[in-house]
Amino acid sequence: MPPAPAAEPTDTDDVRAAADGDRQAFHRLYRLHVDRVYGAVYRLAGFDHARAEDLTQDAFVRAWQKLSGFRHESSFGTWLYRLAVNVALMDIRARGADPVSMMAEDDLPDRGETPFCAAEREELERAIGKLPPRARAVLVLHDIEGWRHEEIGVELGMAVGSSKAQLHRARGLLRKVLGESA
Amino acid sequence: MNEFEWLRQTRALREPVSPRRDLWHAIDAALDGAASTTPAPRRSTAQRVQGWLLAASFAGLSLFAGSLAVHLRDRPLATAATSAAPDLKRWRPSDPRLAGAAVEFDAANMELRQAMEQAPHSPALQRLLYRMQKQQSQLRQLEHQAG
Repeated sequence: MPPAPAAEPTDTDDVRAAADGDRQAFHRLYRLHVDRVYGAVYRLAGFDHARAEDLTQDAFVRAWQKLSGFRHESSFGTWLYRLAVNVALMDIRARGADPVSMMAEDDLPDRGETPFCAAEREELERAIGKLPPRARAVLVLHDIEGWRHEEIGVELGMAVGSSKAQLHRARGLLRKVLGESA
Repeated sequence: MNEFEWLRQTRALREPVSPRRDLWHAIDAALDGAASTTPAPRRSTAQRVQGWLLAASFAGLSLFAGSLAVHLRDRPLATAATSAAPDLKRWRPSDPRLAGAAVEFDAANMELRQAMEQAPHSPALQRLLYRMQKQQSQLRQLEHQAG
């Protein structure tokens, strides 16, 4: 499970009211959580605002539809965050082929080479945005969102080993992009 | 740069981001369309049993109310049937033009009483009896006016 935010405001009453159909309560939940949801979706969408807006809207609509099934086993914020990530990953899956697996080995750094490099924040965001969607998803979930390979494997339907391999490839491609832009 | 430094750099990107515009209006509009597909809140077993009991109680109450309404509707007419019969028998007009009608009323009254013994709550017979009473009443009124 990804690390929980430091402190989440109490929203239990609004969650229960929204589950009973209270639109105003859901609006308050939206205001409370939209930035966290949007942030995750924005990164998975390759820092594309237009795409992130569509996915965020979709995530909140799905949350409204599924709210009656929310069991309060986790915080609402975590449940919503997870749901939004799922929406973004479904969008990536819907886009078709796995670009990571199609990358040529020559384009990647050697196994022994350290695939890390320093970069300015904006430069790093731009480089991540240039990654193929599925490679970006693995890198964003592991290196930014802090997910474990086991969780990524479940969400993306792959083995843990595959997730690790894909991350290595994604980092290699990122290093290449950053190297070219430097 | 080692992995630790790399992760410190990338994890710094994990922070809330505000959308460029308020997305609520679009979401709110989408919820109107999604309302029809929104699943009903899941109900517990106790709630489902409670619902069934309530429905059964309502059905029972409706049945009872219906029976009572039929009973109350039929009662005044049934009372009228039993009370009207002697009136029909007793009517013996002095005017010979009405005497024939009185005989017809007597015969009809007899047949009607026999039929009502078979079906005491028949709405059709009740209506027939009511019409007979009304006709007899009109004839009595005519007899009275004629002197």
